[in-house]
Amino acid sequence: MNKPVIGSDLPRRDARDKLRGRTRYTIDRGGLGMLHAAVRRSDVASARIVRVDVEPARRMPGVRAIVTADDAPGRYGLTVADHPLFAVDRIRFHGEPIAAVAAETLAQARAAADAIVVELETLPAAITMEQALAPDAPEIHPDWRDYEVLFPGGRRSGNVAWEATVERGDTDAAFARGDVTIVESCFRSGRQNQTPLEPRACVASYEDGRFFIETSTQVPWAVRDTTARLLGVRPSDVRVTVPAVGGGFGLKFEFAVEPFAALLARASGRPVRLANTRREEMQTALCRENADIRIRSAVTRDGEIVGREAVVLMDCGAYGGEQPFLTTMTAHTLGGNYRLGSVRLLSRAVYTNTAPTGAFRACNGTYNTFALERHTDEICAAIGMDPIAFRRRNVIGDKALGSTGQVFEGDVLGPMLDRMEEMTASRPSQQARADGRLYGRATVVGTWFIFVGPSAATVNLNPDGGVTLVTSGVEIGSGSMMQSLPQIVADSLGLTPQDVTIRAADTDAAGYDVGVGGGRQTVSLGVASTNACIEVKKKILRVASEMLEADPADLVLEDGHVSIVGVPEQRVSVPAVAARAQVTTGPISGSGAFTAPGTAAMPGCAAGHMLEALDLPVFAVHDCEVAVDPATGHVEVLSYTVVQDVGRAINPRAIRGQIQGGVVQGLGYALHEDVSIDAEGRIRQEGFETYRVPLAQDVLAIDCHLHEGAPSIGPLGAKGAGEVPILNVAAAVACAVSNATGKSVDTIPLTPPRVLDLLTGYDGPQEHHHIAKQWTDNCLPDDAVCVA
Amino acid sequence: MSLRVVVNHEERTVASAPLTPLSTVLREEFALTGTKEVCGEGFCGACTVLVDGAPAVSCLVPVGLVEGRRVETVESLAVGEDLSALQAAMIETDAVQCGMCFPGILMTLTGFFSERPDADEEEIRSALAGNICRCTGYEAIVEAALSIRGAGAAASAVEAAS
Repeated sequence: MNKPVIGSDLPRRDARDKLRGRTRYTIDRGGLGMLHAAVRRSDVASARIVRVDVEPARRMPGVRAIVTADDAPGRYGLTVADHPLFAVDRIRFHGEPIAAVAAETLAQARAAADAIVVELETLPAAITMEQALAPDAPEIHPDWRDYEVLFPGGRRSGNVAWEATVERGDTDAAFARGDVTIVESCFRSGRQNQTPLEPRACVASYEDGRFFIETSTQVPWAVRDTTARLLGVRPSDVRVTVPAVGGGFGLKFEFAVEPFAALLARASGRPVRLANTRREEMQTALCRENADIRIRSAVTRDGEIVGREAVVLMDCGAYGGEQPFLTTMTAHTLGGNYRLGSVRLLSRAVYTNTAPTGAFRACNGTYNTFALERHTDEICAAIGMDPIAFRRRNVIGDKALGSTGQVFEGDVLGPMLDRMEEMTASRPSQQARADGRLYGRATVVGTWFIFVGPSAATVNLNPDGGVTLVTSGVEIGSGSMMQSLPQIVADSLGLTPQDVTIRAADTDAAGYDVGVGGGRQTVSLGVASTNACIEVKKKILRVASEMLEADPADLVLEDGHVSIVGVPEQRVSVPAVAARAQVTTGPISGSGAFTAPGTAAMPGCAAGHMLEALDLPVFAVHDCEVAVDPATGHVEVLSYTVVQDVGRAINPRAIRGQIQGGVVQGLGYALHEDVSIDAEGRIRQEGFETYRVPLAQDVLAIDCHLHEGAPSIGPLGAKGAGEVPILNVAAAVACAVSNATGKSVDTIPLTPPRVLDLLTGYDGPQEHHHIAKQWTDNCLPDDAVCVA
Repeated sequence: MSLRVVVNHEERTVASAPLTPLSTVLREEFALTGTKEVCGEGFCGACTVLVDGAPAVSCLVPVGLVEGRRVETVESLAVGEDLSALQAAMIETDAVQCGMCFPGILMTLTGFFSERPDADEEEIRSALAGNICRCTGYEAIVEAALSIRGAGAAASAVEAAS
């Protein structure tokens, strides 16, 4: 019998070519007759467009096509269609596209883009959320009332792009109780740039009335649909394929360069390549948004949380993008982790004249968890309770109510805290290594979700007995297409992973899929693939039953053969079955699908949420020890330990690789990845010289334990493992730095200057005058609810 | 007048102007796309190649400066189907994720080990200071490098003897 494929540390099939330099990413593609493209972008944050004259550029050498707003009539959005491809009449952020050029060489395209005459009249700008929410703020979208609403239910007004609220129970009564301590905190978090090494890039062509786009994306179907929407063509006239992707981390969860290249391909009749420069990636990446948070809790002396209120402001930049959707996740992160007697939460996406923000691994979960865990430690200090004892007492367990009234299943966080305590108790403390610096430690918990949603899969049995899995799945590096799915399919059909061919994403070949992100690919495609395999297996057994003259119910499919139960020598090989099927039933294939079953929330307690409950929650417990140098403000992480809820580990070593990589990205976020925006709305960091991502000398080996057995709707009980490792990192580091310094950490990243400010009290605490102390004063009126 | 460069043990004639970055010549003239141009500023290390055996970020090297010199890219590491010890070690530790940084990391470490075959962990980490990896968190890469220290010494001994 073959060794079990589930739970095995199997290698990945794409490693060899990646190590030989043979893998051809989108940026390595192109061919005969291909043109190069460049985008002309605005160099101010807010202006009225007086005139755009492309004629001087048209006369430049090598130029084959120029496109502008006139060529792209549509607007894009998730909840509200607020985003045109090119700026129309008005510039809203520094770097906004105005026109695009295709030419014979890249240098010619760039020169021509520079030669386009753009006449602007500067307008007042709102660069920060304080400015955007001020009573006299310039309206960034004066026409916001006229935009098409794609998902109703949120509140909107002026620079508030979207507002979502949760109200469960009577928080007024909870805060008015005589036996509670009230703890209030404000937090601020910065932007984080995804910086995958492969930039957003594509090659587009236009043939027989259809667009064909090869692109570096996480979401082939969203690229197809958004490109069609922006260009005003049928979605079925766009085909998207995806080669190996050189990293994504959420940056490639939206369309990017594709519609520009598509327009230029149609206009020129030639294939067009468009790849962002590193500088463009720094200036226009859909960063994890900066956020401001006010949170307040009423807690009894013995540690019961009877009421909680919070306001979260998320800076969506000039257009909504993912943020109106992500307002949803405040309910499940600030409202997660702990049992709450009553709760009200308000989460807003706020327009500013800055580059739009977007999805980044665990999205707003990272800073909401930072805020929640720091606030939790402040509660513990206020009531004099041990932070771990408080967490043990309050973490959500079986039958606990979430903030929107969903009922959680299973005790997961409690046993994970136990396991963390065992792990940390089994090793010596690293305090001695602090060597004169300030030593601190913290254990934090986190609640996140697997973004389930529709996926489709087809499995074809080939004449040689192997199978081909056809999906719209994309390998962005996590290994879900190269390791997990072949393992899942092989397990379903009694084959080896080598027998499973993986078809790269092609929207003309495979059914709809939400894309890779939110930890969903192994889960959603895993279930869809398993369902496809059920059909294939049934057909294999039916054909084999004729060959073996036995009832299908008495047959077993394993080790590449069908045999009769209890009579293993009575067997036929899968290739023989495939050959037989060719002449009896025709070739064997199966299709499978998946979508979330929908989990109940409490009616009426959530407004403006695209997900009122989590179909597949996932949990994490992190612990870290730090040493803070009081002279320089440098924070060294001395140890880092993770207990992660994985449901079931399909490939444990691959999951450990995700945890190591995700925690290290989180350390960058917590400590030194600093995106700052100047008064003119320009992102100061233009490359790796000034944007400090973690290097080999900055990091340490993460000690991790994979917690199995929590309830899951995933294949074989698995949960997505790639997204959640980053969730708790800023929380763990910030709580440990607070513990080390005795100061209240309320801002990330904790760069050395900020740590020195913290130690000296130079900057003072965050006060957030733009968030009203009285929760209800923050809410937009009922008549601001948007309807479709 | 055209330039001549020895690329992966083969003498090649360069058509591009002398100030063209070596990375661009390798990728666009010789289709050696294993060399990745990620930042174009010498900070990320993804375009690292060996010039006369020493690691260099090829985006900052004008091709005119390597006239008559030996340039080795990631495509030269495997001999036939046999991976180098370092490449094989990266498979053993399951180090590869998106893979974009690996060509540069492999060339940095290959050059480094030829000088310092018995380097310790700290020295390996500092050798990698100019190579950014955004996926892996580096540990599986460092683990792979540590695992071949003996092999690296053996390989350079063979080279010295031949």
